[in-house]
Amino acid sequence: MQLLSEHPDLLLMCGNTDVAVRLKKQKEIGGIIDISHLDEFCYIKREPETIRIGALTTISDILDDEKVQRYLPLLAAACGVFASRQIRNLATLGGNIANASPAADLSAVLLVLHATVTLGSVEGEKCVALEDLFCGYKCTKLDHEMILSINIPLQEHKWYYRKTGARERLNISKVSLAVAKYSGGYAVSGTSLNPYAVRFRHLEEVLNSGSVSDEKIEKALAEDISPSGSFRSTREYRMRVAFNMLKEAMAKLEA
Amino acid sequence: MQITCTINQKNYSFESEPQQRVLDILRDHGMLSVKEGCGEGECGACSIYLNGRLVNACLLLAPQMQDAEIVTLEGLQKETETIRRNFVEAGAVQCGFCTPGFVLRAHDYIRHNGSGNITDIKASLDGNVCRCTGYQKIAEAISKSIS
Repeated sequence: MQLLSEHPDLLLMCGNTDVAVRLKKQKEIGGIIDISHLDEFCYIKREPETIRIGALTTISDILDDEKVQRYLPLLAAACGVFASRQIRNLATLGGNIANASPAADLSAVLLVLHATVTLGSVEGEKCVALEDLFCGYKCTKLDHEMILSINIPLQEHKWYYRKTGARERLNISKVSLAVAKYSGGYAVSGTSLNPYAVRFRHLEEVLNSGSVSDEKIEKALAEDISPSGSFRSTREYRMRVAFNMLKEAMAKLEA
Repeated sequence: MQITCTINQKNYSFESEPQQRVLDILRDHGMLSVKEGCGEGECGACSIYLNGRLVNACLLLAPQMQDAEIVTLEGLQKETETIRRNFVEAGAVQCGFCTPGFVLRAHDYIRHNGSGNITDIKASLDGNVCRCTGYQKIAEAISKSIS
C-alpha cells in the first residue's frame, strides 16, 4: 500500500493473464507490483446479507464454491464459460474488474448483482458501488488504491446469462448479456457493448414499466449501448444480437 | 533476483530477472515438455502444475515461482503412462508439439474425477489447441484412460 501510494503509476499484478499479454505486445509497461502471494485476499465468505469475495480469489475457486453455486448461480454460470481451465486457475475476480476491459465477463454480471467493491489504500478502506469504479475504455478511478473485496448482496432474483463469440470455448465475447430480475425490477448489463461496463438504465425502465414492445426495446437499447465495430465483430451484429438475447431473456424471466 | 522453488520435487535456487517468463526458465532448466505455442495463454502447449493447479507457464513471471511447487510432464512419467500409451494407440499424436500439454490436461481432468463422456472431455480441453489431428482421437484416448 505504501509503495502504491508513492508510485500510483505502478501496475498491480496477480494472475498475470492480462498483464502477460500486454508485456508481450508492448514490452515495457513501467513497473509492476506482484501481489500474487497475498493469500489473505483469497476467500469467499457468507455474511448475514452479503457474499464477500476476496479480490485475489481465482475464477476456479469461485466456480467450485458451493455458496456461489447456491446463492449466485448467475456468477457461477459466467465463471463456467470464462476462458479456459488453465486461465481460470490463475485469473482473479479483482483482476477481471481492475483490467476494465469492455469484454470482461464478470463486470457486467456483478453490475446486475448490485456488487460493491471495498478499496484499500494507505488512508484506509472505503466501499464504493462497482458501477462508480469505471470511467472509460480500460480505465478505472483506482489511483493509489487496491481492490480488497467484491461484495454481493443476497437478494432473491431470477437470472439470464448468455455469451457469444467466435467459438464455444476460450471465448472473448462479441456480446454477452446479463439480466437479473428482482421483486423491485430488472437489472441489465452486457459486455462489448460500450467502452466500459454500465447498467442499461433506459432498457430497465422499459422492462419495469409493464408496457413492453419491440420498438420500445430497440429504442432503449440504442440509447443504452454504443458498440464499436472491432476486429472481433461489427457494430450492427452486436446491436442485433443484444436485441435477440434480450428477447430470449424476457421469454425466460417473464414465464 | 534469487528464486527458490521445487521443480518435479527437486529443490532449485537460481538467479533470474523478474520479467523472465516461467516458460523460458523451465526450458532453460531442461524441462523441454513445456512448449511455447501462442505465448499468450490460449494454446496450452506450455501447461504445467503450479502448486497443484494446471496453468500456462507463458503467463507466469519469475517472482510467481518463488516458494512454489512446480511439476512438469517430466515429473509425471509414471502417473501418465496409461494416458500416453492410449494417445499413441488412438493415433492422438501427429506432430506432437501440443501433446505434452494435452497429456497434462488429461491427467488433471482424470485426477478431478472427470467423466468418460466424449462431450464432457472435449469441453474440458478448452485450454488446449491441436492444429493437426483435431480433438476426436485425443478425446477417445482420454476416455479410454478413464474406463
